[in-house]
Amino acid sequence: MLTCKQLVERSGDLLDNRMSLRTRISMRTHLLMCINCRRFIKHMRLSQAVVRRLPVEESAALDSLAARLSEIRQGKQRGNHQS
Amino acid sequence: MNYPDDSALLARLLSGEQKAYRELVATYQGAMRAVAFAIVGSRNADEVVQDAWLAVVNNLEGFQGRSSLKTWLLTITANTAKTRLKHNRREVLIDDLPGPHGTIGDEHFADDGHWLLAPHAWHQDTPEKLLMEVELRECLEKTLVSLSASQGSVLLLRERQGLELEEICNLLDISLSNVRVLLHRARLKVFATLEHFEETGKC
Repeated sequence: MLTCKQLVERSGDLLDNRMSLRTRISMRTHLLMCINCRRFIKHMRLSQAVVRRLPVEESAALDSLAARLSEIRQGKQRGNHQS
Repeated sequence: MNYPDDSALLARLLSGEQKAYRELVATYQGAMRAVAFAIVGSRNADEVVQDAWLAVVNNLEGFQGRSSLKTWLLTITANTAKTRLKHNRREVLIDDLPGPHGTIGDEHFADDGHWLLAPHAWHQDTPEKLLMEVELRECLEKTLVSLSASQGSVLLLRERQGLELEEICNLLDISLSNVRVLLHRARLKVFATLEHFEETGKC
């Protein structure tokens, strides 16, 4: 029988859906009976979603990088046409 | 080409359209930086990413569409970073720095493996509601910054970029078991921060 501690240690495999059938069954069984672990997994999934949606600042540096890259490309195009 | 979105974007990139480059950079810069960061560390990561972008622009014709554009970009980034490291012996970094709010460790469990400090109920149950709190967002940023380069990068590549664990192994030259350890530790630290904030209302 899986303990709570073991379930937490293996929670990554549950989140990434990488479990053998046997592990899947023993995790499911444990979760059916254990409210603490159900809450833990629920909150782990919520944490994942939070990380996924955490806004990142759009920086002006990216704009200037994009401008530079497209200039290089345009220069290359012109070079190709001339040769 | 097997990736229709990529092929539309590629045509615009080949013609040098600036807006297409802005889209490309905005979409992939974060993932490229995470790959570079994990391989060469913070000091050289930005330079590696710059070099990788130049390699990308100069080799656009070579992109065959056999992989997704994302995989192609990240592979170029990883190769650029590894070239940089060629003469330095590379250590596999599975270093673990303490997170600002700890983790879920042995102290949370009794000897029989049951919860000793059971998880708390949270006030919010959706990511949107949780992220409305400015202080929580800042707190999470701090936690993410506190992660080691490899932990932070693996977390970002998995959770934000949706890469498969095998892709992460190949890009970073880390074994699958190490990727799993890094990811698990990073996730638990993020969890601990949210847990702490939901419990105390403070960072």
